[in-house]
Amino acid sequence: MSVYVKSYRRSSRGRRWLSLALQYLCMALILVVMLFPFFWLLASSLKSPEDLEALPPVWWPEHPAFSSYRTVFEVTPFARAILNSLVVTVSSTVGILLTSIMAGYVFAKHQFRGKNALFVGVLATMMVPQFVMLIPLYRMMVALHLDNTYPGLILPNLANGFGIFLMRQFIAGIPDELLEAARLDGASEWTLLWRVVVPLLRPAAAALVLFAFVFQWNNFLWPLSMVYSREMSTVVLSLNGLRTYTSSVTFTNIVMAGTAIGILPSVVLTLWAQRYFIEGISLTGIKG
Amino acid sequence: MRQGQRSLIRSRSLATVGFLSPGLGLLIVFVAVPILLTAWISLHQGSMAIPYSRMRWVGFSNYAAILEQPIFRTALLNVFLYSLANLVIILPLAILLGLFLYQAQIYGRNLLRTVLFLPYMIPTVAVAIVWGYLYEPQYGPLNEILGWLHLPAQGWLGSVHEAMLSLVILNVWQTLGYYVVMVVAGLTEIPQEYYEAAALDGAGWWRRHWSITLPLLRRTLAFVFVILTINTLQVFDPVYVLTQGSPVNSTDVAAYEMYITAFNYGQAGLASAMAMVMLAIVLVLSLLQLRLFRSL
Repeated sequence: MSVYVKSYRRSSRGRRWLSLALQYLCMALILVVMLFPFFWLLASSLKSPEDLEALPPVWWPEHPAFSSYRTVFEVTPFARAILNSLVVTVSSTVGILLTSIMAGYVFAKHQFRGKNALFVGVLATMMVPQFVMLIPLYRMMVALHLDNTYPGLILPNLANGFGIFLMRQFIAGIPDELLEAARLDGASEWTLLWRVVVPLLRPAAAALVLFAFVFQWNNFLWPLSMVYSREMSTVVLSLNGLRTYTSSVTFTNIVMAGTAIGILPSVVLTLWAQRYFIEGISLTGIKG
Repeated sequence: MRQGQRSLIRSRSLATVGFLSPGLGLLIVFVAVPILLTAWISLHQGSMAIPYSRMRWVGFSNYAAILEQPIFRTALLNVFLYSLANLVIILPLAILLGLFLYQAQIYGRNLLRTVLFLPYMIPTVAVAIVWGYLYEPQYGPLNEILGWLHLPAQGWLGSVHEAMLSLVILNVWQTLGYYVVMVVAGLTEIPQEYYEAAALDGAGWWRRHWSITLPLLRRTLAFVFVILTINTLQVFDPVYVLTQGSPVNSTDVAAYEMYITAFNYGQAGLASAMAMVMLAIVLVLSLLQLRLFRSL
């Protein structure tokens, strides 16, 4: 009996060990696959033209050279592109935050006729592909002489269905009693929104700010259609330009250096605040 | 008192209108009106520069024209295949990785989640640029790795048969983490007691997940399915950056074809008809999927 128990226990411990080892192996495999492109991006940006032309390919340069990170600012107005991207992204993010909080509050806490139909309409805008609006938007901006300008880049991105939806979901979770109490104290709706609702909304607002920032920073189709001068180019647009005009393999380091700089804000924000992203996705996913 | 109440209600409905108008106004001007205008242009003949008033009414002939064009039919077929391939690969992988992330009792789960999620947040253009170099047949690392495994080198983006698949792999790498996070969120909603009861009844791992996880994850999976379909049907950035539809139109997709018809050929009428066809397809497919999953 005791022998049986011992051997059983040993085999169970062995199985547990095996299962753990398998889990770590799986994790290592996924990490390698997911991180390899980042590794190649970094390694290539540090290679010399000789490394880039070498066959078989060099994996990590023997003498990492940071010069391409300077060159990228010389071959293209990359500093200007960073400034442009920041101006456009920050403005749209602020706009999206304000419009989403206000509309989200009304959809969550006010009653009026046709509310549901209107909200369904807002949700429906999330399903519409960006390119469906592209031609009229482009013509609109040309007619207003706003093509190739900051307002032209920013205006269509000051509100979106996702933001309103996200804010409504969060605000719906705030107890009505809290609002009623403030109303009895004579607070106007405006005060109520900014003094009572918004302070409770901080994690949700953080999620929205991060999402809006990252998606505006990454936007390609709209600047591609609208911008025609190098001075108004955004970072993402410049990256595409860099790649197109430096097709020779010896310039890979410059393209990769630009790309590394271009993804930096998104990477830093994601690592710094991933908790909020995850919460945001989870909320839209579960209750969607 | 009555007076005060009435003024309160009036101020609240004023707030309703006031708070809604900026957001809704912008959505109307920059989403709803442009959709209607695209529909309007699609029924007219016109270049990109011609004013709306001078466009000539042509009825549905733009639609007839694009559906007769072999190139647009190819682009439609390609984007369907792209979408389908992504669904077939991402859906099971997202469930498996979601279960793994949720259940694995190992250190570094958070690291794994971060790393999986990270590519979703970086610009698709940047992802496309990096993968373009990974796929590079001569200087790229992928063929080198295949060589170590004694597998033949591939043409990747340069091959008619592999270019589309290469774009699919790129998208799986970039977006998988997003769907995994959604699956994990869905898993946390399933009460643990169900699993304990099933384990007591002697149900194995496979059976437990088949009869508990999948049915209870239905809503999450429906959401993943719909979002995945909507996102993949609009694919544009990697095609524009990497292939421009080549080789031999094998990666030509609807959004790309619409873009060059409008901005390179200047044919606003035809391009708008393409946009409307895609809009109809996206809407019909997502509504069908939602209904289908609801009835399950």
